[in-house]
Amino acid sequence: MSNLVQLNLANHRHLQLEPQQCAQHGAELNLIPVVMSEFRQLVTQYPILLTKNGDTGAFTFVAMLGFAKGENLFWRDHQWHSIYLPLQIRRQPFFVGAKDAATGEHPLCIDMDSPSISQAPNAVALYSDSGEESDYLLEAKQNLAQLLQGEADNSDFILLLQELKLLQSLSVEIEFEHAAPTRLNGLYTIDEKQFNNLSDAQLLRLHRTHFFEPIYMMIASLGQIYSLIDLKNKRSGTDHDD
Amino acid sequence: MQKPTKKIVIVGGGTAGWITAGWLAAHHRTYDATSRVEVLLVESPNTPTIGVGEGTWPTMRNSLIKMGISETDFIRECDATFKQGAKFAKWVDGTQDDFYYHPLVLPQGFTQQDLAPYWSSQQKQTSLSADKHSFSNAVCFQESVCEQGLAPKTIRTAEYSDVANYAYHLDAGKFTDFLKRHCIEKLGVTYVSADVVAVNAHANGDIASLTTHVDNMPNGDISGDLFVDCTGFSSLLLGKHYQVPFIDCSDVLFIDTALAVHVPYDDADSPIASHTISTAQDAGWIWDIGLQHRRGVGYVYASKYTNEAAAMQALADYIGPKFTSLKVRKIPIHSGHRETFWHKNCVAVGLSAGFLEPLEASAIVLIELSAQMISEQLPANREVMDIVANRFNQTFRYRWDRIIDFLKLHYVLSQRDDTDFWKDNRDPATIPDSLKDLLKIWQHRAPADMDFTSNNEVFPAASYQYVLYGMGFETDFSMTPHMLNDWHTAHKQFAKNEHLIERALASLPTNRELINKIHQYGFNDL
Repeated sequence: MSNLVQLNLANHRHLQLEPQQCAQHGAELNLIPVVMSEFRQLVTQYPILLTKNGDTGAFTFVAMLGFAKGENLFWRDHQWHSIYLPLQIRRQPFFVGAKDAATGEHPLCIDMDSPSISQAPNAVALYSDSGEESDYLLEAKQNLAQLLQGEADNSDFILLLQELKLLQSLSVEIEFEHAAPTRLNGLYTIDEKQFNNLSDAQLLRLHRTHFFEPIYMMIASLGQIYSLIDLKNKRSGTDHDD
Repeated sequence: MQKPTKKIVIVGGGTAGWITAGWLAAHHRTYDATSRVEVLLVESPNTPTIGVGEGTWPTMRNSLIKMGISETDFIRECDATFKQGAKFAKWVDGTQDDFYYHPLVLPQGFTQQDLAPYWSSQQKQTSLSADKHSFSNAVCFQESVCEQGLAPKTIRTAEYSDVANYAYHLDAGKFTDFLKRHCIEKLGVTYVSADVVAVNAHANGDIASLTTHVDNMPNGDISGDLFVDCTGFSSLLLGKHYQVPFIDCSDVLFIDTALAVHVPYDDADSPIASHTISTAQDAGWIWDIGLQHRRGVGYVYASKYTNEAAAMQALADYIGPKFTSLKVRKIPIHSGHRETFWHKNCVAVGLSAGFLEPLEASAIVLIELSAQMISEQLPANREVMDIVANRFNQTFRYRWDRIIDFLKLHYVLSQRDDTDFWKDNRDPATIPDSLKDLLKIWQHRAPADMDFTSNNEVFPAASYQYVLYGMGFETDFSMTPHMLNDWHTAHKQFAKNEHLIERALASLPTNRELINKIHQYGFNDL
C-alpha cells in the first residue's frame, strides 16, 4: 500500500531515505513498466516486451523480471542484483501528483509508507540543513521528469508500431532444469517478418522519428529470456524457497 | 450462354441485403478498380425493414472480419452486446427452477472424448442432489459465465478473439445503417434508392433488368447478370415474379405470430444478460435479448392455441408494470421456405427465402451462409450458373431441413402437458422422420459428429447434446459400454472444466463493464 503526500520543505525538512531500500518495491514483480529512453540500458539484462493494461487493454512497455506472477529473478537476499535498475524502481518513493489547476504544475509527492524512509545512519537527507534540495532529491526529480517524458514517447512509439502492424504476441513454451515448464502469455514483441517487409518509405519514417533503434533493441533484448532461464535454473538449483 | 457474371443486383436493403452486399463486395474486391464484378443494391425508400433479427451466431465474427470491419466500431455503433448461447427456462416441465443452457463453447475435450456417457453414468450413481450437475455445467464452463452475467473476454483480448466462444446481440436497424455506410464508403457497393416496379425478362426467362421509379416517376432500368432477392416477406423476385412455391412447415412448427417490444433498462448501469433467454409459455415462448440501451422482448405463439389478448397478457406478465407504456409490434410468421432458392439468374437470401421461429437465431446465420456461398461459388458465366444454382438449392434445402429438425427437437423433448400446444407438439405425426430416426439412435448412444457428416451442417452434434441432455433425455448406454472405457481421461476433463469455471469467474468482467470499456478504450487488433 502507499500513502502519497505532497512533498514540501516545511513538513519534510528532516526526512531521510535509504535509497537501497527502494528496490523492495519491485521485489515481487515479474514485469515492470519501462520507458523508451532506458531501452539502451535495459537491453543489457532484461527482455523488453509489451503487455496490455488490465483496465484499458492498452499496450505498455515492460521489462521482464520473472516467469510467474510475483517472481523477480533479480531479487535475491533482499537485494536487486543487476547492472541497471529500471527507472520505475529508482523513482521510488516519489510520484508526480495531479496537475495543480492554479499553477499548472505537477506537484512532487512522496509515499510516506515506503520502506526507504529511514533513520539509519547511512540514510540520505532530502534537504540540506539550510533547506536546499539535496543532490539526491534533484536526481529523483530528474528521474520523474524522464518518466513523464518517457510515457509520452512510449505512446507515440506504440501508435506507430500498431499502425505499421509491427506487433505480434509472444508465445513460447519454456522449460527449466528444476521447475515445471511454463508458457508465456499476454506478452507481445516486434513482428520481425513484418518489420523486414517494410517499404523504404516506412523505414525512413522510422529512422526520422527515432523509432528505428528501439525496435532493434527490443528484438535484441529477446535473447535475455535465456539469461532469465539461466537465473531461474541457478536459483532453483541452489535453494528451493520457491 | 457464355455471358460472364459481372453485375450483381441486390434488391432490398435490410439485414439480408447489406450482409450479402458486404460479403460479395469484400470477396470480389469491388473497391478495387481492377475488380471484374460490380455490386449494386437497390432499396425502396418506402419499404420499412422488419428489423427484429437481433441474435447472431459466432459466424458473424467471420462475416465482420471478411468485410474489414473493426469489432470496436461495430459494438459501439450497433448497440451490440456479447451473446454466449441461450438459456431455456420452463421448457422441460414448466416449474420455477426449470432451465438449461445451450452454450456456444463445445463440451470439454469434445474432439478427443465424448463426456456425455460418463456424465450420465455419474448422475445415475449419485443420489445426493448436491452432487448432481446439469449436463452443460458439468462439461462446459460457459453456463457459469452466463449465470454470473460475465462477458466472454476482457478488454485485453484482441478484436474478435475470445476467452469463451461468443456471438452478438445487435440492434438490427443500427446494424443495417452501419453496414450500408461501410458497404458504400469502403467496399465500393453502388447504391440506388428507388422503387422496383417491374421485372423485365430475357427470352430464356432470366431477369434482364428491373424498372425503377422515384417518387412515382420513371427512374430507368437496372440491368444485371445475377439478381439477389432480399425483399423480405414480399419475396418480390423469387416468390412474386417466378412463383417458386412456398413449403409451409407449420405442421411441424406451430408458431405463427410474434408480439415484439423494446424494453428500456431501469438505469444506465443495469446488467446486460450475456445470453438469449427463452422462456416457455402456454402457447409458445418469450425471447429476451439484452442490448446496450434496451432489451428486445417478444412473445412468439401459435394462434391456434391462444388469442392475441391472452398473448398480450402473457407478455405483460413477463415484462412487468413497464409494459403498459411500450409499443407492441405484431408480426405474422409463416413458418417455411421456398421450394428452391436459386432460380434462373435469381437467388433469394433472408426472409424472401423463408423464415422459422427465432428459437435458435437461425435467420441471420442463414443469410451469412447464403452470402458466403454466393460469393465463393459465384458462377463465372451464365453457362455454369444453373449448376451452381442446383448445388445451392441442395445445400440450403438440407440446411433448412436440419434447422427444422433441431427446432422441433426442443418441443419434442418437453415434458410439459399443461396445454394442448405442448401436447400436440409431441404428436408423432408432427415430427419429421429424420428427427425420429435420430432420436431412436440416441436411445443407446449420444449424438456424435458422425451423425452429421455433411459439409453443410448448421448445428454440430454438441448442440444436440446440450439440448438433449439439458432437457432430461435419457440415453441407455448399457448396450454401448465401449463408450465408457476411459474413466481416467473423463475425470481429468471434468476436473479441467471445474478449473476453467473457477478461472473464468475470477478473470472475466461483466458484460456491461466490458461494453463500457469498449466505448472508453476499444479493443486492440492483436
